[in-house]
Amino acid sequence: MNRWFAVARGTEVPRRHVGHYLLLGQELAVWRSDSGAINAWENRCPHRGVRLTLGSCEGEELRCRYHAWRFASVSGQCTLIPAHPGQKPASTVRVRVFAAVEHDGFIWVNLAQGESPTAPTRVAHVLDSTRSIFVDAPLYAVRETLLDGYPVDSTASRLAVWSKDAYCLSAGNPDHAALVTFLLQPVTDFQTVIHGALHTTVEETARLARLRRHNAAMGTVRDEAERRAAAATGGGATA
Amino acid sequence: MIRLYDHELSGNCYKVRLLLSLLGEQYERVPVDLHPIRENRTAWFLALNPHGQVPVLDDSGFVLCESNAILVYLASRPGVPDQWYPRNDVQALGRTARWLEFATRLSGIISAARNHDLMQEQADIGALRSKARSLLRVLDEHLWFTEQAGRGWLAGEAPGVADVACFPWVMLSGEGGIDRLPWPAIARWTDRVKRLPGFVPMSGVFPASPGL
Repeated sequence: MNRWFAVARGTEVPRRHVGHYLLLGQELAVWRSDSGAINAWENRCPHRGVRLTLGSCEGEELRCRYHAWRFASVSGQCTLIPAHPGQKPASTVRVRVFAAVEHDGFIWVNLAQGESPTAPTRVAHVLDSTRSIFVDAPLYAVRETLLDGYPVDSTASRLAVWSKDAYCLSAGNPDHAALVTFLLQPVTDFQTVIHGALHTTVEETARLARLRRHNAAMGTVRDEAERRAAAATGGGATA
Repeated sequence: MIRLYDHELSGNCYKVRLLLSLLGEQYERVPVDLHPIRENRTAWFLALNPHGQVPVLDDSGFVLCESNAILVYLASRPGVPDQWYPRNDVQALGRTARWLEFATRLSGIISAARNHDLMQEQADIGALRSKARSLLRVLDEHLWFTEQAGRGWLAGEAPGVADVACFPWVMLSGEGGIDRLPWPAIARWTDRVKRLPGFVPMSGVFPASPGL
């Protein structure tokens, strides 16, 4: 699918960390090289198939845990096979890499292969972002639940939510600018992550309290979406 | 002289080995063969710990069982920096006790799931994984807000026994079929623990590359 999805807040993939993410059933190893390049790689060593998220980030290279093969940032090209240190690894020995960019406070990934990715999605005016929420429910259930209103700050009245496209919704007063943009990440057919971009600022002293209110509201959305998904599948647990 | 009655694959023994290593302590390891010969049920071991469980610590004749108790004891000895068991800061002490309780809950559930998957022990595995998920969600939330407040550790400004008590069971959760993919704040915290000076791994727990 030639489309960009937010998979993480940018600050949540620090240098020397290998993040484990899933997008449309594709396992990803997401990491930032010391020079700042964002990598979203298939989470699989081309040698013996071990998860690269078990390995370690060595600055400009990722090292597989199993046989310590090293792969270069950006290209995914193997640079060293320690069992054959004098031999230059063949150019075909490389990790499958996906297009990845960081902007508007998020890391975006496009799984399209063999075609140029479309222009990246932009979210205007991101001033802060909420804790991303993992939901055991398909994306459609999360969308439906959100469209019923966003219960932040008040249990009696919910913020109106409208759809910008299939994976992006906004909450606020429709007469005014959006207060929150929700970016939906389809993890698998039955799991979704909700990322939240905030479009207003508060004083630093009030910031944590506001993030906690959003976390609670998004938790309410999660619980309701999971309830609906379970009901839709006959009451059984998903997965 | 510190002696630890130990089993390599026990998460609770790993807690103690980890703290001893972080504190730079020399100690003697006495392996106790739990499988298949159940050395922990023999008379000599039951005399040491009537519960028949590892780890057991023997510090020059002072014998102590229960892993969290051992952590508290080791971290409270004279000369050990206050951060590990913050006995002079009541709030940090309270938070430490809270996360030690959490570690006990986590170990009960994750060890049961792990013993089900690895040792074919009977268990309601679906219920265990669901409970583990609820606990890990609480942990991830706590750690995310901790990061937002500019800190990185469970109970205070610095790493302490709370982190050491929870770390093994978080890392071993995969061996009980418990997915950590939904919890990125936990993953970053485990990297921080792995980068503490003196960190030691165990079977199935890998070290991290050096940090910046």
